[in-house]
Amino acid sequence: MSTLSLHQIRKQFGDVVAVHEMNLHVNHGEFLCILGPSGCGKSTALRMIAGFEEPTAGDIRIDDRSIGMLPPNKRPTAMVFQKYTLWPHMRVYENIAFGLRLHGFSRKDIDEKVKGALELVGLPAYGKRFPSQLSGGEQQRIALARALVLQPKILLLDEPFSNLDALLRVRLREELRRIQRQVNITAIFVTHDQEEALSLADRIAVMNKGRIEQLDHPSRIYEQPQTLFVADFIGVMNLLPAHQDGGEIIIGSYRMPVPSGNEYSGDVTLAVRPEDLAIVPSGSDAAWNGQVEHVIDLGHYRKVLVRTEHMGVLKVYLPKAVDVREATTLALQPTRYTIFRDHQTPIEVHAGSVPQLSLQGMA
Amino acid sequence: MTASQTEPAPHSKSRFSTVLPYLLVAPPILMVFGLIFFPALQSTLRTLTDAETGAFSLARYEMFFADKTSVTSLIFTIQIALESLLGLFVICFPLALYLRFNTSRIATGVQMISLLPMFVPGIMSAYALIRFVRGRGLFETLIYQVSPLLADAYYSPYVKPEGIVIGLIWEAIPFTVLILLAGLRQLDNGLIESAQDIGANRWYIFTRIILPLMRRSILIAFCLNFISMFGAYTIPYLLGPAAPQTMGVLMQRTLQDYQQPLEAETQAVITFLICSLVGLVYVQSVSGERVRKG
Repeated sequence: MSTLSLHQIRKQFGDVVAVHEMNLHVNHGEFLCILGPSGCGKSTALRMIAGFEEPTAGDIRIDDRSIGMLPPNKRPTAMVFQKYTLWPHMRVYENIAFGLRLHGFSRKDIDEKVKGALELVGLPAYGKRFPSQLSGGEQQRIALARALVLQPKILLLDEPFSNLDALLRVRLREELRRIQRQVNITAIFVTHDQEEALSLADRIAVMNKGRIEQLDHPSRIYEQPQTLFVADFIGVMNLLPAHQDGGEIIIGSYRMPVPSGNEYSGDVTLAVRPEDLAIVPSGSDAAWNGQVEHVIDLGHYRKVLVRTEHMGVLKVYLPKAVDVREATTLALQPTRYTIFRDHQTPIEVHAGSVPQLSLQGMA
Repeated sequence: MTASQTEPAPHSKSRFSTVLPYLLVAPPILMVFGLIFFPALQSTLRTLTDAETGAFSLARYEMFFADKTSVTSLIFTIQIALESLLGLFVICFPLALYLRFNTSRIATGVQMISLLPMFVPGIMSAYALIRFVRGRGLFETLIYQVSPLLADAYYSPYVKPEGIVIGLIWEAIPFTVLILLAGLRQLDNGLIESAQDIGANRWYIFTRIILPLMRRSILIAFCLNFISMFGAYTIPYLLGPAAPQTMGVLMQRTLQDYQQPLEAETQAVITFLICSLVGLVYVQSVSGERVRKG
């Protein structure tokens, strides 16, 4: 069992607070992604766990044992870095064996473990090569083998695939997940790529300005964002400034009901996913009318930009069967939306049955 | 005019671009040949020729190696150069490591101080060192203020081999720190952190990661400093003993004091050959590294 807990971890560089009192618990065998934009403090948090940064305050515990005072070489963690950090003067075999030698393993054990690690990452015949003879993807796999061969309690990954091309990234992330499950290791993966986080993680911690804004399962992060930042950062979202007057939301000339018990008066933000906007027959009550400005073909679906009078440009996802052309007038109605007051306190609204236009009618 | 007349011929343009780099490097190459290689070749040939018959002869070299003073000077010079290099690396490596991994204001100040000797002419620094280290000099006076007993035990390196070593180290510190620091700055932090991450302590990081990756910078610093120290004149002349002498001082004395230009020429050729050999090792290693990197 290897669990990791961060208790009130804070990191300050001069006057700048990189990480505000952060609390996090990662279960054994869990794959946790820390997701956030550049400069949000996610790498700093990871580097504090690895021991490369000293927390200004707080405690880090692995299996309920404090490791805050231990130097990086004494911590039961191993890290895969963003850049390819294989030592260029050592062959692949030596790169992987180096840590084992430092830990006093016998020659026979080292040989067995290195071969096992190379097989685990799918590169069994690469031991004699130098890092300069490997592609970026192969180098990161070797870096992963080097980290795993020591059987650390926690595996830390700092945007390991960000220097690779998109196709390779997808392949390697699948492989990483397979390996993590195979060795049943607790892993923390830092990324700014939401697709990467959504496809890899058991849970995601979305960070912004040094704080965890939401810690949840990927589907809940997407479907039920708890803050306006998460709503905006994860996936594509239409954020519409609106006004709430008691039990009603007012956007321009449109009025929408708010579930009872959520009465409020003031400015709010309406968040609607593009896939939650349905095309309704023109002339429908409460339909948002607009003109198709641009149609982007994204393979299996279309992204349509619709210019409305009071809400600016709305993003709408439509199946390819719906034949929408530029300059066509569309009537839209949200099937589901979230109302945010003060960037937080979300109120999720399911609009119920919306009289959607049949696809055959549009085609 | 037709189109073919107005446009310059692509053939002549490409020929000019081919020749241009050679034209640009021609003046320095001609200067090196005219001022270094040609005189060196002339001297080498003269030392290999019998002055009376004009036939090939190794007599001058036999004479050099039969002469105890010359051989002692050669060994002494090699010894001084190696000792100075050892001292230089012992001082400069920790200094460069400190400057590479420290970003404080103190580190900036230390770097400025370490570069200071670069801006002091050799003769001035030699006289400054004499005033500092000689008997009853500034250093001994300072020690005397602390304890007269300590001052009595003071061993002045002035006009001793140690004096030359101190002088040569002092002169070479800025250049060596710059080379080592440039090499260290090329090392990605990730390479060091990944070693730390898998359990390496500072010693292992230094010996197994930093030193092997710094091989090229170390070799550059070693070769260039060896050549400069081997041929040094001012510091050994002003700070060194009357005997044994370094090759630079010996050459000057043989030429000026003993009026033996041919013997001085032989000493110069031997010095030149040893320095060329070190230069060759450096060139071969650098070109070998380029080939390995593709």
